[in-house]
Amino acid sequence: MFIQATAGISPQPSFSALLTEPAVYAGNRLNCIEPDYGQIIDPKMIRRMSRIIKMGVAAAMDCLKTSATEMPGAIITGTAYGCLADTEVFLSKMVENREELLTPTAFIQSTHNTVGAQIALLLKCHNYNNTFVHRGFSFESALLDAITLLQEQHALTVLVGGIDELTDTSFRLLSRFGLYKKDISSNRALYDGAAKGTIAGEGAAFFLLSAEPSGKDYAQLNGLYTFYKPGDIAEIEKNIQSFLSAHGIGVNDVDLVITGQNGNVNEDGIYKQLAQTTFKGKACARFKHLCGEYPTAASFALWLAANIIKTGVVPSCTSVSSDNKRPGRILIYNHYQNTHHALYLLSVC
Amino acid sequence: MADLKQQIIAQLNLKDLKPEDIGDDQPLFVEGLGLDSIDALELIVLLQQEYKIKLASAEEGQHVFRSVRTMAQYITEHQPKTV
Repeated sequence: MFIQATAGISPQPSFSALLTEPAVYAGNRLNCIEPDYGQIIDPKMIRRMSRIIKMGVAAAMDCLKTSATEMPGAIITGTAYGCLADTEVFLSKMVENREELLTPTAFIQSTHNTVGAQIALLLKCHNYNNTFVHRGFSFESALLDAITLLQEQHALTVLVGGIDELTDTSFRLLSRFGLYKKDISSNRALYDGAAKGTIAGEGAAFFLLSAEPSGKDYAQLNGLYTFYKPGDIAEIEKNIQSFLSAHGIGVNDVDLVITGQNGNVNEDGIYKQLAQTTFKGKACARFKHLCGEYPTAASFALWLAANIIKTGVVPSCTSVSSDNKRPGRILIYNHYQNTHHALYLLSVC
Repeated sequence: MADLKQQIIAQLNLKDLKPEDIGDDQPLFVEGLGLDSIDALELIVLLQQEYKIKLASAEEGQHVFRSVRTMAQYITEHQPKTV
């Protein structure tokens, strides 16, 4: 598969530049830097859109604009939490108004497939439209569906994206579960120390995929593989080796490994062990200090990897170890809460 | 009618509009303010929440929601009387 274009809205100035001046946040919460939506979305439609819808639609429109594609053959989104803000409004109104006089807009737009639907409405696109909600595999499921559609020639191009938003309520609730670090000076200090928890994040990243090269592609997406709750590190290593073998390569053929380290001592042990074994001596990068942790954070990693391959530059703010070579092949390994594990392989076209 | 216009703006999140931008007899739907069927549902909720008025039928809505003036007239005629 070929990534013809990509666009991302994240806690970094990613919409217009590739992490040249990374934003620094105090505390344990990262919120997206949002563009001027009035320049991207019809003002008549904006008034009903909550933040996640605007983020998703804007990223999707920018992605299509970059690839000069007016009508994708399919629109597929992946989101774990869906449209939280509208859900909160709807549920609050239910309580306040004793289940009467509910405002229709928040209800209609509280469903997880709203972003995909709004993109279709805006484009007047009647093609295949689907949304996947599978916790830490939401984006991977969407991507797998896109790959399948293209392989089976049901579409020539597929617009696929991963979206999740953080609201005051979700941040408060997830904090109570102990997901986030309590004492962290800034996102730059995410990997320091050995404390539990990570930092909260959110984002929207979209990709236009095709089975055939367009001549101006960002990168080739060679493969995607997911595995659930591995028993031990040996099983993870075996999965990585098998994934690479299935594509006719070994670890030595990978130029850069991007891992999903999130600063949580309970979850980063896997990456640290792999750094001493399977990935020993490899150039490595990480990204969650830039976008925070959220179930579809791997979409940010894919956006990053596609841009690295296109530009040949590994942003210094992501680099852990470098061999100063232009990466021609990138492996992304991310896991969400040591439950949902995913491998992506990309290469130059 | 200025209050009603302000309520419509708030209910429909018409952030770029001020009450004086909406003409008393300007059509609310399609060629006027460009409202749609979801906005009609929001206006029905507004009538119930703010004025305790329930529309008798969907057909009635077509007349009531023609303009701010027709809405105001309907509210005046149907608002429950306070003793």
